[in-house]
Order: sequence, then C-alpha cells, then structure tokens
Amino acid sequence: MALPPVLVILLFVGVPVLLAVGFSFGMTGGLNRTAAMIGQDVFTADGLITGEAYAMLFADPRFPRDLAATVLVTVVTTLLVLGMAIGIAVLLRLRAGWASTMLSGLGVIPLFIPVVIASWAILNFYSGDGFVRSLFAQFGAEAPIFGFTVTGVIIASVWVNLPFALLMAASGMQGVPDALIDAARDAGAGTATIVARVLVPMAAIPLIIAGTFTAIGVLGQFTVPYFTGPNAPQQLGVDISKYFQSFNQPQQAAAVAVIVFVVASGVAAMYVWANFRSAKQEGRV
Amino acid sequence: MISKRLLTVGLAGICTVALATACGPVSSSDAGDDGTDEGSEGTTTVTVFISGDTNLVDLWEQGIIPAYEEANPDVQVDVTLDLHGEHDQQTVAKLVTATEAGDDPGFDLVDAGFVISSAAEAGTLLEVDPATVSGLATVPENTITAGKGVGIPYRASSVLLAYDSTVIDNPPATLEELLTWIEANPGQFAYNSPSTGGSGGAFVTTVLDSYLTQEEQDGLRVGYDEALQESWTPGFDRLAELGASVYQGGVYPNGNSQVLELLGNGSISMAPVWSDQFITAVETGLISEDVHYAQISDPSFTGSASYLGIPRTADNTEGAIDLVNFVLSPEGQTIIAEQISGYPVIALDELPEDVAAQFADADPSALRPGYYSENNDDMSNLWDQLVP
Repeated sequence: MALPPVLVILLFVGVPVLLAVGFSFGMTGGLNRTAAMIGQDVFTADGLITGEAYAMLFADPRFPRDLAATVLVTVVTTLLVLGMAIGIAVLLRLRAGWASTMLSGLGVIPLFIPVVIASWAILNFYSGDGFVRSLFAQFGAEAPIFGFTVTGVIIASVWVNLPFALLMAASGMQGVPDALIDAARDAGAGTATIVARVLVPMAAIPLIIAGTFTAIGVLGQFTVPYFTGPNAPQQLGVDISKYFQSFNQPQQAAAVAVIVFVVASGVAAMYVWANFRSAKQEGRV
Repeated sequence: MISKRLLTVGLAGICTVALATACGPVSSSDAGDDGTDEGSEGTTTVTVFISGDTNLVDLWEQGIIPAYEEANPDVQVDVTLDLHGEHDQQTVAKLVTATEAGDDPGFDLVDAGFVISSAAEAGTLLEVDPATVSGLATVPENTITAGKGVGIPYRASSVLLAYDSTVIDNPPATLEELLTWIEANPGQFAYNSPSTGGSGGAFVTTVLDSYLTQEEQDGLRVGYDEALQESWTPGFDRLAELGASVYQGGVYPNGNSQVLELLGNGSISMAPVWSDQFITAVETGLISEDVHYAQISDPSFTGSASYLGIPRTADNTEGAIDLVNFVLSPEGQTIIAEQISGYPVIALDELPEDVAAQFADADPSALRPGYYSENNDDMSNLWDQLVP
C-alpha cells in the first residue's frame, strides 16, 4: 500500500502537473475539457499531441524576449547572490569580528520580511520620487530610476534570495577545519588562494544547493517582477498569470509553465548531482 | 503498529480536508443570523455568490441584504464570498459541472465579472429579459443586450479623466487634446496596462476607437470578430508612439489602484480613473481634493455596467429573481449610489431627486461600452505585444 503522504502528493501535485502538460500539447478532453471550453485560442490535437500552442508562443517576438530576460535575471541574480554569500561567509570564517557578525545578521533579515512588503518597499525606495533620488537631489545630483526596470527586479531578487544562500555558505565554511587553513598558510598560500583553493571547494556542495534553489526560485518568481518590473520585457512567472487570466489563453499559460519547468529541471539536475556527490562522500551510496 | 498507521492516515486526511477548505471561498450567513433558518416554517434562503473587492461585500452585506430582509422577513439571504475573485476559474468550472449534472451549484445569484464572459459562454445561466425580470423594464436596451441575454445589469461606472487642478487649469476636452497634452508634458500621464484593470483598458479602447468607423466599433462590441481586430493597428501604433511620453518614458502600472496612488502622491498629474474608485479615494483622503475629474469627448472614455447572473440549475431561482427586482428598484439603486458611488442603471426619473441630480451627467445609456469580452482579452494581449 502506498503511504498516505505519497497519495496526497500524487493527487494534489502529480495529477495536476500531468494534466497541465497534456493540455499544453493539445489533450483537451477529460478533466481538461472545462478549461478548453472556456479558453480562447485552444488547439486540440488531431492525433496524440500537437505543438501548436508552443508554435504560437514562439511566433510572437514577445515570448522569446521575455524568456531571454527571465534567464538573464536568473543568471545575474544567482551569481550576485552567490558572490555576496561567499564574501560574507569568508569574512565570517577568516576575520570573525563585530563587522562580519553584523553583516551576516543583516543579510538574514530579509528572511523575516514578506516578499510582497519587500517588493513594494524596494520599488518605493528606487522609484522616481523615492529615497535614493531624494537623497541625491539634496546635493543637486540626479540618481537613476530603478523602479519598474530589469535592474530593479535584479536588486529585489538578490535581496529576497540572499538569506538562504548566506546561511548555506556560512555553515559550509564554518565546517572547514582550522588545520586545513593553517596548513595552506604554512605552505605559503595567501588569503585569495585559501579562499579559492580551500574554502570554496570545501563548501562546494552547500553552495551548489544554494545556487540551484536561488536559480529555480528566481526563474518562476511572480511577486518581485510584478511589483518592481517593467511591462516589457516581463518575467515568465508574471506572463503565466497574464496568459491565464487576462488573455484567457489557458493552454498557452500551461505551455509557458512547461518551458519554465524544462529550464528549471536543467538547474535541478545540478542539485541532484550535488546531493549524490555528498551522499557518496559520506559513504551512503 | 496498526494504530500508528491509522493515526497517519487520519492525520493525512485531516490535512487534506484542511488544505481544501482553507483555499476555497468562504461561506457565511449575514450578520444577525440567529439560527432560525432550520425548521421554521415558511423561511426561504437565497444564496448570493460574490466575486469581488471588499467594497462589493460591504454593498451586499451592509446595504442591500439588510434592506431586503427587512422588506421580506420570511427570506434569509446568505453570502458566499470569493474575495478579489481569486478562484474564478474554479467557480466557473464548478458551475459548468453542476449545470451539466442538473445539480444546484450552491448559490442562487452570482455577482462576478465572469457572469457575462465564461459563465455565459458555457451556457450555465438562466436567460433573462424584462418579461421575466420586471426590474429591467426601464434599463436601456443596449445595456441589457451587452449582458448576452443572461446578465442582469445592476450598476454601472465609467472611466473619467482625473487631473491635478493645481497644475492644470483647463483639462483637455477631447481625445485629440488629451494626446497632445500628454506629448507636451512627458512623464505626467499614466494608464495601467489593460490586462490589469479597466481604467487603462478604457483609455486603450478609446484611442483604438478613434481610428475606427462606427460600424467597426459596433462589430467589436456585439461579437467576437478576429478579422475586425486588424483595424486596431493604427491605434496601437499611436499608443506605442505615445509610450515615450507617459510616466517614466513607458511605465504602465499594474492595476487601477496603482494609478490612483501615483496620482495621490503627485508622481503624475493626469490619468484615466474609474468613477467609483476615484470618488471613494477622494472621500478616504488617498487623493487630495485638488484632484478634479472631467469626461473627454470625441470619443469619450468607455464605461460599463456590472452584471448579476442566475445559475440555470439553482434551487431557488424565483427567490433570486425577487432579490434582483429589489436591487433594480429605486430603493436598491439608491443604496448602490450611496454606498459605492455606483451609477444607477434604471431610468433616472424613478430615483429620488438628489440621487438623480448626482448622476445627471452619467446616464448609463450614454455610456460607451467596452469591447465584447473575447475581443477585450485579445486587445490586452495585442497591447502587451505591441505597445510597451
């Protein structure tokens, strides 16, 4: 007998996912019938499947543009988050003091602030009449406007995703034994070499986990780009909701979701690999 | 061991039920429910399903329902609420399933945006006309027609041009003047993307309409016509050109209220706004009293009625029709006017004088309606593709 949690997951996650994937490929019968009846521009497969919903998406220059923008935001955000997390974690490991403790404490604060509130606050902070512009105006200077721009989305995404990566990086680096660092130093390694050759490789697995979680989270995020982003190019998370609700094209929304899923599974493969490697190191596999 | 497994199954079951109920629309009896709905002779129940914002909930729960129950002591009106219409898709699916099975969907009257779109499309609602619903007698013909034969218009609102009177002395009077003003004052005007709210949608519709003949406009209002949508091209070109002159050189806020907020904090000095939202925002102080409004002409901004629907298979359709007639009575229309600044849909001379005077300029029959709902969806889509 299957365990109850497995049944719950199959029923509430597995079945809807399969239905949506089928729907995007033109399987409009059965449980998808109602959605197909209500939606506009729904394509029904003559044979088993049809890729017309996907063809319609890619024929529209807007979709490749949004896809590119989403991937760009994901890559830049992940790199920035990892860079900042590693920086603070290294500081905490090698120069423990009030400054590094304060930095790591500040870095975790976004964890306790709801994303909606944070997005709204960041938008207002960088908007045309926001704090940054007001401060610059005091000295007669003109600051750029980041509200409703892709840069704004990246800033807010980094803000939201930093805490988790920071916790992972810090705990990974705290686990590196002093003996290794001292040995490297005795052999004449400078701080940069110690970071690049000892600390980061030793913390590689938690860093990869942090990176994959950040990337997958940013790829499908809705709230941050909805509040802080421009109307074009828009992130795919917002596009899904627009296709589904505003344009009444549920099939195209499902197709966008499948594409996000495919991109995310590429990232998820790294996560599986990292988990597998850590299991191997501990001798579990 | 067995008891432990049972416990797990039980807990999982509880979690599932909790999950399912926590996400669904909440049902509540209205205030003053003293438990007399069971067993007492002659009491009937009408359930109203509301998909909308809190102002609509207050309109029903604190305005219409108490007044109706006072006039009809033997009727109890319950409310099922889906705040902000977050589960519209599920509600329509439920309605479709119930209609096909011939079962009661669980409510007798629907107040939601999907009444004249997907629910009407799927044939789930009772056909209405002035013969079956007597309250519709003085409602303008074309307002009823826009309900696709199933929607009962019960209030209306239109989009107006709000402007900061400390900056602008003479607001533009025509669309042409407005577009000229926007280009002469870059960054001072904003409209929300049409997919996120009707006030921006009305601006877009109005600009598109200015390039169409009357026949083309009518065609796009009465039915779905993809060939006619071709004629939108010059209008979209004009809007794309206008992009550089709107707020921040091409930012279109998300939703009606974000536009109101920009207007309130002085980031912009002119915008299209919904009449009812704007009047309420001025009353609550979100927007300064220095912000005034005007209607443009040639063409004017669009406005529209909101519709009620009665599910075909509802248990108590007679009760629902009686409630609708109350809503369409002078008393019901006055409540709507006072509570949410909604335009009445019945003939103005039937209303109390002060209410009639307040809405003298807002004759619902004079409102230019928006496009047919499927055309409107395509307009949002094309706008998103071509303009920003």
